Amino acid sequence: MFRNITVSCAPHISERLSTRTVMMDVIIGLVPAMIAAGYYFRIHAAVLISTCVISAITTEWLCNVIRKKPNSLGDFSAVITGIILALSVPPGLPVWAAVIGSVFAIAVGKMVFGGLGANIFNPAMVGRAFLTASFGMLMTTWTVPATINRSMPVISVENQVDARTQATPLAWSKQAIKSGRGAETVNEQLEAMFKGEVGGCLGETSVLALLVGGAYLLIRRTINLHIPLAVIASSAVFAGIMNLVNSDAYILPSSHLCSGGLLIGAFFIATDPVTAPLTTKGRWIFGIGVGMVTMLIRVFGEYPEGVMYSILLMNAVTPLIDRFCKPVPTGGRPNVQ
Amino acid sequence: MEVSVKGKYTFRGGTEPPQSKELTKKSAIRQGPASTQVAVMLSQHTGAVCQPIVKKGDHVQAGQKIGDSDAFVSAPVHSPINGKVKEIALQSHAVLGRCPAVIIETDTENNPPKQPASSKFTNSFDEEKYSVEQICTAVREAGLVGMGGAGFPTRVKIEPNPKQPKETLIINGCECEPYITCDYRIMLEWTNQIIAGVKLAKKAAGCSRVFIGIEDNKPRAIEVISEALRNSGNDDIKVVAVKTKYPQGGERQLIKAILDKNVPTGGIPPMIGVVALNVATAAAIAEAVVFGQPLTHRVVTVTGEAVANPGNYYTAIGTAVGELVEFCGGITQKAAKVILGGPMMGIALADLTTPITKTSGAITILTKEQIGEAKFARRQTACIRCGRCLEACPENLSPTTIAHAVKNNLLDVAESYYLNACTECGCCSYVCPANIEITGYIKTGKILLAGQKKKIPE
Repeated sequence: MFRNITVSCAPHISERLSTRTVMMDVIIGLVPAMIAAGYYFRIHAAVLISTCVISAITTEWLCNVIRKKPNSLGDFSAVITGIILALSVPPGLPVWAAVIGSVFAIAVGKMVFGGLGANIFNPAMVGRAFLTASFGMLMTTWTVPATINRSMPVISVENQVDARTQATPLAWSKQAIKSGRGAETVNEQLEAMFKGEVGGCLGETSVLALLVGGAYLLIRRTINLHIPLAVIASSAVFAGIMNLVNSDAYILPSSHLCSGGLLIGAFFIATDPVTAPLTTKGRWIFGIGVGMVTMLIRVFGEYPEGVMYSILLMNAVTPLIDRFCKPVPTGGRPNVQ
Repeated sequence: MEVSVKGKYTFRGGTEPPQSKELTKKSAIRQGPASTQVAVMLSQHTGAVCQPIVKKGDHVQAGQKIGDSDAFVSAPVHSPINGKVKEIALQSHAVLGRCPAVIIETDTENNPPKQPASSKFTNSFDEEKYSVEQICTAVREAGLVGMGGAGFPTRVKIEPNPKQPKETLIINGCECEPYITCDYRIMLEWTNQIIAGVKLAKKAAGCSRVFIGIEDNKPRAIEVISEALRNSGNDDIKVVAVKTKYPQGGERQLIKAILDKNVPTGGIPPMIGVVALNVATAAAIAEAVVFGQPLTHRVVTVTGEAVANPGNYYTAIGTAVGELVEFCGGITQKAAKVILGGPMMGIALADLTTPITKTSGAITILTKEQIGEAKFARRQTACIRCGRCLEACPENLSPTTIAHAVKNNLLDVAESYYLNACTECGCCSYVCPANIEITGYIKTGKILLAGQKKKIPE
């Protein structure tokens, strides 16, 4: 009569939530950015996104076979790594480089550490860092969107070849810092940067799409406000101070927020739960760190963009942040006997 | 002392599982089965196990003491029926595995069913007729323990202690677990008895004020009790409607919600001048002090979508879970788990001969759909460090860190993350997207750590 009853640990009910539904929400949040990439960069977007996703999935499957572990593709984390990597590379990146980047991202960025949940560094950023180090030229040549306004000013950059390849707002910004003038040209492009009609990596250009996606994630409670707010606020403050010091050389905070990988980093990459601290206090520290280091690199460093490095650096510091932000029980620390 | 609520009517963290009270909240308390055999466990409380004071073959009366202990923290046990001691043997116990019990068998002709005492209490009750000494002795002799689940001997709890004066008495009518409605029904039906018990406990413990905490999903109970208090003109007893959230019924969370005070980690409420009691325990105090009636019966909610006749049943302690379930029409084909307690903290039973004890408030019988496919099949992924368990923990711990420390046998790390501060409420496992059995690991860790500490000689 009672043959079919099961025995397992309390609690016996749970929220209808799974790792997969959390990952699916992140993918849905990335859809506006993917649509914007498709609209502005046409065939490049389609090719790169699909290449990165397929390579990531295949690499994870292969790694599981080699490690003799069960197939983990069902949690969709490989798909997200593929999409984010694709959205963080220039549209003109050759397919073979994208494949190498994805394989490295999954194999070395995640599987070598032990799979989902065990990696220290954000896998997509690991892949991108590898590509930047190995194929620097390919990673710093940007095609302009097909819909760009032809009358936008062209600032000369060492590697510019023809009118179809052009610098990004951040490259212009770096030029302005070095020469001490010309920041207004970037500030004037704010509307274009908001819509996405500027050069840049596949998923970074359209601020509007990223904000819509970020809002979706916040509403669905997939991410908390702490990290995005911390990143944005700390970057804005830093940029604001620099702008006050010299507004000809340093662009406005709004221009910094709308250019480069800051927003995609703030909402989609820095918020990767596996590589960010566990506690609220830790997440604030993490976000402020990402914002500060990004701006340090953008303003004082040689590179025009710093989001990737700042995220990797803060990922490395995360275990330390967690250790310092150990939550205290409501009843206080117990007395040591 | 002023009788005003200093807290914010809620606490940090927690979760909101579906309340599922509709199945039984409208069912008035009915008589449970007339058993021909009961198994009265010799350990139904925190503290020393009782020794039997009867032996095989002895005849016993309903209400006769059959087990006792000399230890201070303990409570005697009594027979609920007239009958003969069949044997003293090990019975299945949900938490301890096996526990010795006095098994009594009888025939139903000799046993008129015991009626609840509620009709004998009116709304004018004078606790001044009883001295503190009388109250404490009666409570001890009646074998009263905390009926909310912890089973702490009530006499030890309410006895006045000049070194730790208890100014505030908190009566817990929250019943935050889903499905359970036994406390709700006794608040509606045994109102005067509960208030009498509250007054007796207040006098014994020497409290100057009382708060009765009830979750706001029970407006009828709040109304009924407030009305009764108004009629008896008690200014120092106040009903507080707290926000419905699991686990508001945990005493630490209730004290926080009402008084905005935190019980020290590893400590007890008297350390901050508070004592907390369940409403059913209060009702039992009244019956014990006024009528000398020992604790031999309690209301048990039998509920869940997989039982034929859910309801609230006044049951003899020692009745087998299987027998009670059969009395309620038996379980349907869809039943996946039979839980002693509620779905959040209850224990899933394998052996349905497990007897009801003084702390068993409910039997919840769940279907696979209610448990959820992924949870039923225990399909887990690795921890993604999403932090939801930290947000949900009412004690502000880091459940995933503790659980993974235990999993990797790093018990000292688990302890440094305050493993022993966990109240095992289950919020962390409830919200986990990776479906990790966090509460299970923590419970295991506590046992392993205690075992490890015992081996080290001091």
